[in-house]
Amino acid sequence: MIEINQISKSFAGKDAVKDLDLSIPDGKIFGFLGPNGAGKSTTIKMMTGILPIDKGSIVMNGIDVSKDPIKAKLQFGYVPDRSDIFLRLKGIEYLNFIADVFEVSQDMRKEKIEYLTKSFGIYEALNDHIQTYSHGMRQKIVVSGVLLHDPDVWILDEPLTGLDPKSSYTLKEMMREHASRGKIVFFSTHVLEVVEQLCDEVAIINNGHVQFKGNMAEMKQQFAEDDNLERLFLELTQNE
Amino acid sequence: MNKAWKLMRIMVKMQLSMANKSTTEKVGYLLIGLMMIPFGLLVLFFIQGLIGSMYAALEPLGNESVILGLLFVMMTFFYCFISIGTVLSSFYFAEDVESFISLPFEPYQILFGKSAVPFLSLYGLNSILLLPSLIFYGIHSSSGILYYLFAVLIWAFTPIIPFVLTAIILMFIMRFANISKNKDRTKVLVGLMGFIFAIGINVLLRLDAGTGNSDISQMFTQQNALLELITKFFPTAYFSSIALTEIGSWTGLLYFLTFVCLSVAAIVLFLTVGQRFYFKGVLGLSGGRRKTFKEEKMQKQLKPQSVFVSLWKKEMRIILRTPTFFTQIVVQSLFFPLFFIVLIIMDPNGPLTGWGSQLNEMEGKKVILSMFGLTVVALGINPASFSSISRDGKSWFNHLYLPIPASNIILSKLLVSFFINFLSLLLLSVAALFVLKVPLMIWLVWFIISLITGWIASMAGLMIDFYSPKLNWTDEREVFKGRFIGIVPLALEATVFGVIILILWTSGLHGIWSTSAVLTGILIILTVLIQYFLTMMVKRKYYNIL
Repeated sequence: MIEINQISKSFAGKDAVKDLDLSIPDGKIFGFLGPNGAGKSTTIKMMTGILPIDKGSIVMNGIDVSKDPIKAKLQFGYVPDRSDIFLRLKGIEYLNFIADVFEVSQDMRKEKIEYLTKSFGIYEALNDHIQTYSHGMRQKIVVSGVLLHDPDVWILDEPLTGLDPKSSYTLKEMMREHASRGKIVFFSTHVLEVVEQLCDEVAIINNGHVQFKGNMAEMKQQFAEDDNLERLFLELTQNE
Repeated sequence: MNKAWKLMRIMVKMQLSMANKSTTEKVGYLLIGLMMIPFGLLVLFFIQGLIGSMYAALEPLGNESVILGLLFVMMTFFYCFISIGTVLSSFYFAEDVESFISLPFEPYQILFGKSAVPFLSLYGLNSILLLPSLIFYGIHSSSGILYYLFAVLIWAFTPIIPFVLTAIILMFIMRFANISKNKDRTKVLVGLMGFIFAIGINVLLRLDAGTGNSDISQMFTQQNALLELITKFFPTAYFSSIALTEIGSWTGLLYFLTFVCLSVAAIVLFLTVGQRFYFKGVLGLSGGRRKTFKEEKMQKQLKPQSVFVSLWKKEMRIILRTPTFFTQIVVQSLFFPLFFIVLIIMDPNGPLTGWGSQLNEMEGKKVILSMFGLTVVALGINPASFSSISRDGKSWFNHLYLPIPASNIILSKLLVSFFINFLSLLLLSVAALFVLKVPLMIWLVWFIISLITGWIASMAGLMIDFYSPKLNWTDEREVFKGRFIGIVPLALEATVFGVIILILWTSGLHGIWSTSAVLTGILIILTVLIQYFLTMMVKRKYYNIL
């Protein structure tokens, strides 16, 4: 369970996120939507400890992110929106590093690395420097790193960007499986079809506020006049 | 051409922008600027003395044009040398190259824009070295206003030809040598060239000094047409020297105009050659090489290790594998001890040899303080420390969401720079023990003191980088250049340690043991103090530097 309580963040006096409240129950795939600059990434960065929270609190599986950051960070795995990871490392070195950080046992890391990287088709590139990887491959190595230590909560910032159809399908299947085990998948996206296909619940954020939160059925019901999600999204996020 | 100007403005703005910099940072730059003033005055004083004494020696023989010739030759050489690095970095290795290639620009327009920043840095140097030299020459030769007018114009034109020549040669090399496949190796090679150059010059000078002990001014007067001799390979230096010595005559004017025409022609040539060759060298640079996959080799690496070891290894790998970091950090740190060893070996009968055996006769205090001073100079410029945070660049944020305490990350970075310091201490130890034959006990005391000093230097460097890290770089060189960051730790350490040395030197202490004990005590107190401030800084800043 993730509880986001009245968090705010401002940059140079301008509010990026204001009094945002969200609670994400276990066993759900939670879609986080919003136009560019709405505050999605800022929220995710506060959830993951990259940005300090100005006001409010975030509690992940009962652990306050600001008060006990290290313990909280052990709860989740995070795929950032840009794959600026340590480019001079080899793929295998990166995964090994992540496994060391999360104390994954030798047998487990061997098994998981093989399984994950083979499913994403990057197994044979593991001995190369990440610098030589394409954008999609970098994305895949980061996703593999996250799944390697099997965290309870997955936080994914635009995870499907740059992935080929097969890997995208694989990741979506993994997300479903994770949620079906009673865990949380929290991801941000622009792609509305993905939301429609995949999400159990969604929140739409604009100008740092939550505009809507609920499951897909509720969302469609509430906006019955809208025949598709795109129009609904545009209506919710237009700046009047 | 209008497009080219616009492009240039954008590029200069991007590289030199003060946007995104806090007021404290701007104040920092101002302070550094102020700190540079005494240093600048020292350089000026030195140049003025040199020109004055040379003028006094050469003028009676009518050979004073040699001073200008020598000056221009040196400058040309210097500019060519500096341009190698800046041109490669700006034209070929900067990451923004690709984003410009995809825009509808002609190659010459991109080149024009890309030349701006390297060219501006040459002008900075030009203003510090050439301009005052020309003014001093003018004062000594009591020249009139016409001289100064010509001097300013020549000052403005001088960097053009060396820069253009270097750029053209590099464009040819990049076009034909297929360096793109060995981008990393090229970078290391270019980086090493500087150091080989410095050691080489030193060796040459020493060899030369060994063959005869003639005074430099004496050597000049014995030769005819000295100017032609020294400017043999640099005709433009000859033209500018004549233009400035034959002021007011037609010859002077003719040479001046020739020089200006050559400079303008060089720019045209540069853009023409660039139009044809630039893209051919730059395209394909971003491609990497893949090795064949060896499963066994990969599987072998899958061993659990402590997070700390893992972090340290990650840092070391990044330093060793990134050419700029390798040359700037590893090579540069080991440069001083190596240089020191070369110095001793090249000078078998000099004052340094046999130094070790004399140590026993010297006052203990002076021995240990001098050796400590040497350590400060050797360890003060450890680039591994003042690039600790900035090295990560855009990947810094990865440390923030991983469950690793800030103190562990910082400590691993400290240990990396300490390790590099340790390597240079080992090298110096080899020199001390085997070449200089320093007594074992003295070495041991020095070694312990140096280890503590190394740790302090690592902390100080890291704190300075932490205070205002540069994370938004597109080329690794930006971590080191244009930040003055190497000077700050050195100046700081020189001041603090200088004061300590001074106090101990003038104190009532005499023996090696008492002095070392007091020195070690002071260093330990300093370590604890800095550690305290570092801890505070990490608490306050670690999550706030993005």
